[in-house]
Amino acid sequence: MSRKLLLEKEHVENIRLYDVYRREGGYRSVEKALKSMSPETIVEEVKKSGLRGRGGAGFPAGLKWSFIAKPEGVPRHLVVNADESEPGTFKDRYLMEFIPHILIEGMIVTSFALGSNVSYIYIRGEYAWIVDILQQAIQEAKNNGFLGKNILGTGFDCEIYVHRGAGAYICGEETALIESLEGKRGNPRIKPPFPAIEGVWKRPTVVNNVETIAALVPIINDGGDEYAKIGIGKSTGTKLISACGNINKPGVYEIDMTISVEEFIYSDEWCGGIKNGKKLKACIPGGSSVPILPANLLLTTAKGEKRLMNYESLADGGFATGSMMGSGGFIVLDEDQCIVRNTYSLARFYRHESCGQCSPCREGTGWMEKILLNIENGKGKISDIDLLWDIQRKIEGNTICPLGDAAAWPVAAAIRHFREEFEWHVNNPIECLTRNFGVGHYADPIHIPELV
Amino acid sequence: MSEIKPKSTFKVTIDNITIDVAPGTSILTAARQIGGDVTPPAMCYYSKLEGSGGKCRTCLVEVSKGSEKDPRPMPKLVASCRTGVMDGMEVKNITSDKVKDARAGVVEFLLLNHPLDCPICDQAGECHLQDLGYSHGKEGTRYEFKRRTFEKEDIGPYIQLHMTRCILCYRCTYVADQLTDTRVHGILDRGDHAEISTYISKAIDNDFSGNMIDVCPVGALTDKTFRFKNRVWFTKPVDANRNCENPKCCGKATLWLRGADVYRVTARKDEWGEVQSYDSKPGWICNTCRFDKKKTSDWIIEGPTTINRHSVISQGHYEGMVMPTETIQKVMGGREPKLLMDIHDESGVNLSKK
Repeated sequence: MSRKLLLEKEHVENIRLYDVYRREGGYRSVEKALKSMSPETIVEEVKKSGLRGRGGAGFPAGLKWSFIAKPEGVPRHLVVNADESEPGTFKDRYLMEFIPHILIEGMIVTSFALGSNVSYIYIRGEYAWIVDILQQAIQEAKNNGFLGKNILGTGFDCEIYVHRGAGAYICGEETALIESLEGKRGNPRIKPPFPAIEGVWKRPTVVNNVETIAALVPIINDGGDEYAKIGIGKSTGTKLISACGNINKPGVYEIDMTISVEEFIYSDEWCGGIKNGKKLKACIPGGSSVPILPANLLLTTAKGEKRLMNYESLADGGFATGSMMGSGGFIVLDEDQCIVRNTYSLARFYRHESCGQCSPCREGTGWMEKILLNIENGKGKISDIDLLWDIQRKIEGNTICPLGDAAAWPVAAAIRHFREEFEWHVNNPIECLTRNFGVGHYADPIHIPELV
Repeated sequence: MSEIKPKSTFKVTIDNITIDVAPGTSILTAARQIGGDVTPPAMCYYSKLEGSGGKCRTCLVEVSKGSEKDPRPMPKLVASCRTGVMDGMEVKNITSDKVKDARAGVVEFLLLNHPLDCPICDQAGECHLQDLGYSHGKEGTRYEFKRRTFEKEDIGPYIQLHMTRCILCYRCTYVADQLTDTRVHGILDRGDHAEISTYISKAIDNDFSGNMIDVCPVGALTDKTFRFKNRVWFTKPVDANRNCENPKCCGKATLWLRGADVYRVTARKDEWGEVQSYDSKPGWICNTCRFDKKKTSDWIIEGPTTINRHSVISQGHYEGMVMPTETIQKVMGGREPKLLMDIHDESGVNLSKK
């Protein structure tokens, strides 16, 4: 049984409400941080904990905070990135919907550590009902003296505002989010300057994911060293994984990053195996933008070791044989799923969400989508597969923001690992419309455990 | 130890050519100071417009050495227009295969949905995309789908918008932001269906809106008063000035003449296709000069404009041109050229020579 830090109290009735949350030990970290710690010690504590950004890139949070510029007389801001739009990722939604106070609590502590008197939650527009939940939570916290002027009599002021996005995936990129928060078109900015130097209204800004901020609560309560004890190596603490796809028990799980991928998929504690007793074909382990992995590479690394659910192990082997932890959107595909169709639907998503600012992404995503649609419909040519490879290669790394990379990686990985299936689609244009390729040689190498 | 003074100039090496530049200069500006082939092409960057650049990705370069202090190379190709130089930086532009490959890709992407209607486009001959296509593109396309097109939109009496040709460089929005009082147009939508639009069909009518035509690198924004009137290479550019009553207008322009008729008035351009600067102020011209003063009597003509000899516009102009000397006599050793299959006693071709 894995240890739970964020979702420990998820099943307490009415944990959404302040009174229940407070009774269950909530807001202890605010009291501890504001009364007995200095902003520097909080940042040190976070550095000690080894907490890594939970939004996808996995950048150490403490290090990010230590970069923030502190010019005299210029306000600083904390912005929480709740623009969770990655297909397959829904962990922040669960957290904000059921335990909104843990986010507010983490935000107060972080705001104190960064010296931000006005902090923002930039929330995805589609999460309309969660805005109300958050606003209620903010109001409750305010009524109880945890927000507003002179919090707990320590002289620290903090206000939290919730800003609704207008439904753009690109606004999850931190500089596009900042532009959007300023009321402009959500185009990513060219870095440098980084937001830690010039962010919202040219003020130093830290943008962090919801889960990262929520993780502050156990770090402050138990101490950074205690937090660092959980997990392996540089993957410390717990991570929320939103599992979906062809599994028996989809949902949001909190794992401590020591379990193996195999255990995560097949154990009854987590995903509970593949639905209907089918075979595992492939998996996108970290949200739609990370490379897809076939079953054999997913469960064991190229070196023959067991792959674990953590940052290092999932990335083992680079992009040739590995993937990424990403934002924790764990999408499982069984033998009935078509990789070409899956890649096409991802390409369509990225084409739709490209901001259109820089040309490789704007034009390349649409081109890839059209070629993939042709292959999917049995109108493709063998040369199209090489063309796709060439297009993704020319998009990757040549764009302003990582959306270009995110659009290129799934296509690259699908061709790298499932080229056979693409070729089958091209060579059997009629058959591919009526049946699926199946598992192929990358079939599940592991015997399906008997159903208990 | 001697005192460490802040350096007044940075040494930067671009394609093995070293130059000293002021701190804060971008790689592209440094490369422009060297000039020639080492200058990366720029489609969206416009040195006179603040905040422009970084979008088209044609100016990508490889930084093989970050600086003297931190000699690590940069992991990705960087947009040279928005990356500042560091002391001791080493940049590879045309000497890097990675850059050439990426640039060929960008050119392909830019031309992907471009209609290539150069034969009927007013910009042809002075189009940056055309030049870029010739210098860095490949012949033929690998794109087999329908190109995206847009509905025509009327944006006012002076400027014609052809959204289909647009490469979304955002230059015109910067002009509207920085030169005019209010911006009434912008980018709508996103991705490959993003478009320049006024949204509520509002006419763009401002004293300096005409400069959008000058900054547009392609034929997306063209001059309605010049539209379909002539090809640029048939007209003769002359430098002229007038005493414009608008204080923000520099009054120095290029008239595009055919005979004695002024077909078009534009701002003067420098060698990078940007508006000339006078006393380090960009020489924007007002709409009155551009659209209304279409008589030579309105202007004081200074003389012919110097046009780059590689430009198609220079084709109709013979000023200062040296005819190449005939070398055939030298090559043939003094003998007369003979026709290859001379089966006749007298060649009809050579007849006039006898």
